[in-house]
Amino acid sequence: MASVIHPVREGIRGPNIASADVQLPAVRDYEQVDREIIATLGFTKKWFFGLSLAVLAMLIGASAWLFQIYWGLGQAGYEPPVMWGNYIITFVFWVGIGHAGTLISAILYLFRAGFRTSIYRAAEAMTVFAVMTAGLFPIIHIGRPWKFFWLVPYPNWRLLFPNFKSPLVWDVFAISTYLTISTTFLFIGLIPDIAVLRDKETNPIRKRILSILSLGWRNSDREWRHFAKAYLFLAAFSTPLVLSVHSVVSFDFAMALTPGWHASIFPPYFVAGAIFSGFAMVWTITIPMRKWFKLEHYITLNHLDATAKVVLFTSMVVGCAYMIEFFIAWYSGVRAEQEFFWNRVFGQWWWAAWIMLLCNMALPMSLWSQKLRRNPTWLFVLSLFINLGMWFERFVIVVPSLSHEFEPWQWGSYTPSWIDMSFLIGSFGWFFMWFLLFVKQLPVMAIMELKEIVVPRNKHAHDGGHH
Amino acid sequence: MQGVLGAFRELDTTVAAIKDLKQKRLGEMTVYSPTIRHELDDAIDGPNSVVRRYTLIGGLLGVSFGYWIAIWSSEYWPLVTGGKAIASWIPYTIIGFEVMVLVGALSTVAGMFIHSRVPRLTTTTGYDVRFSSGHFGIFIACDAAKAPQAEALLREHGAVEVRRED
Repeated sequence: MASVIHPVREGIRGPNIASADVQLPAVRDYEQVDREIIATLGFTKKWFFGLSLAVLAMLIGASAWLFQIYWGLGQAGYEPPVMWGNYIITFVFWVGIGHAGTLISAILYLFRAGFRTSIYRAAEAMTVFAVMTAGLFPIIHIGRPWKFFWLVPYPNWRLLFPNFKSPLVWDVFAISTYLTISTTFLFIGLIPDIAVLRDKETNPIRKRILSILSLGWRNSDREWRHFAKAYLFLAAFSTPLVLSVHSVVSFDFAMALTPGWHASIFPPYFVAGAIFSGFAMVWTITIPMRKWFKLEHYITLNHLDATAKVVLFTSMVVGCAYMIEFFIAWYSGVRAEQEFFWNRVFGQWWWAAWIMLLCNMALPMSLWSQKLRRNPTWLFVLSLFINLGMWFERFVIVVPSLSHEFEPWQWGSYTPSWIDMSFLIGSFGWFFMWFLLFVKQLPVMAIMELKEIVVPRNKHAHDGGHH
Repeated sequence: MQGVLGAFRELDTTVAAIKDLKQKRLGEMTVYSPTIRHELDDAIDGPNSVVRRYTLIGGLLGVSFGYWIAIWSSEYWPLVTGGKAIASWIPYTIIGFEVMVLVGALSTVAGMFIHSRVPRLTTTTGYDVRFSSGHFGIFIACDAAKAPQAEALLREHGAVEVRRED
């Protein structure tokens, strides 16, 4: 898909993406790519174990949902003034996770960042499943899930539309557009790879299914020409979309006159945090995957190093945003804001704020060390800390603000009930269940794009071509 | 479709065969490759994709509809607040933008499908399963009279297999 790079007119060249840090020296030809990526589709005991754990976790969440539907929303830990808690925290957390996939697919594609090639398919799938997970929470939060279609902007019988000036309506537009476009992006990229699976398949039933899914793709020059152009425009559309989605989510908070929320820094702060957490989740899923599927020569230490630099940068942006929040509260001279931010780090929820600062600001500074950036074990451990820290970031935004507003008589507390925590566990189960099912049905790496990096076979050697 | 199909193992021999076939003008040519290769694009020198027109038209329709629905519904049932515009274009930009992306992107995909001629019910004529794996291919749509010349040319350039397709 790098055909958008202006071609050199003469001679046979090497890889389409000729950046030294992304080449795959251990991959010799196209057939090896097919063989090794298709081999990841075989079922293993570890996979069954992982899927069983995910389904179990999902069932915990599903049971809690049934309980809540029967006994009512009061079973969750909400009480005035904290009427947003775990559901909105976890919603924002998963939307944030869903950011990295399309960022890697689209923005890094437009910027010609070669390291995206080996990881973008897993990241795209992660995005789709993370947004699917996030989408559950507004439905859970409304208490009567069978009325969920009221969230969709459509008029009532007197043609009264929802208020298009409401951030919650913007959110519905932003999230549903993002889910649709991310899913489309994932599917379009999968078509040539499904054609590879179709042509290798011997089971007639599976071959038939793959034929339908591949849409009769034949790898012809006409198909590639339109495919490359469509992919480019999808990337161009997705790039501002990625930035808009979490900006719109941040408006849910920033448009409210609540201490700690009503700040113009929220959109870039949320976007940086989303990219940060999304990359961490990319590590959480790709580092075990590269080991268990024996894909170390596809996701090399150079790839991990490059992603670690993105995480380090976004960590600094997020850290800077935290500091600016405190500065603005002090500089504004507004008593309520100053009180609130003092309360954030030294008040009732001090431990949540310090977990956030430790995981999101302090620990990622270890990535200044190249040795640690190239240490998969450390990156995996760090990714778990960042996931934890980013969940607590949303907790720190939601709960202390609502529990500590302007008037002392309004102040209150929030204790998540077992229902809240079951939903949190269930969301991880739901997400990993879909991801684990995906990796055994469809290629977890983009076969077609990996072949772009591999030097093609040439009769007359040029630029290191095989012959 | 009647014609001759050649399979190649190497990229450079495929490129050379394409250039030669273009000069000879034996018939409409279809080139297969397991991935996008600039060398093939250069040799084929095909027309620009028209998908971008679908993108432009879809995007314009989407942004127009997004603004229209927000403005029309506000005017149809005004929520009057002192000093505030009934139809406020600044927040409606979010609706316009999201619908532009949605319709523009889906139009792009529709354009790609229409011009790539997918979904296709059969892949058999002029196709070989090796072309999705490691081989390159050239199919020349030509009648029986020109077929021997096409076969000879493909073999001359190193095709590992040449066969006629009906």
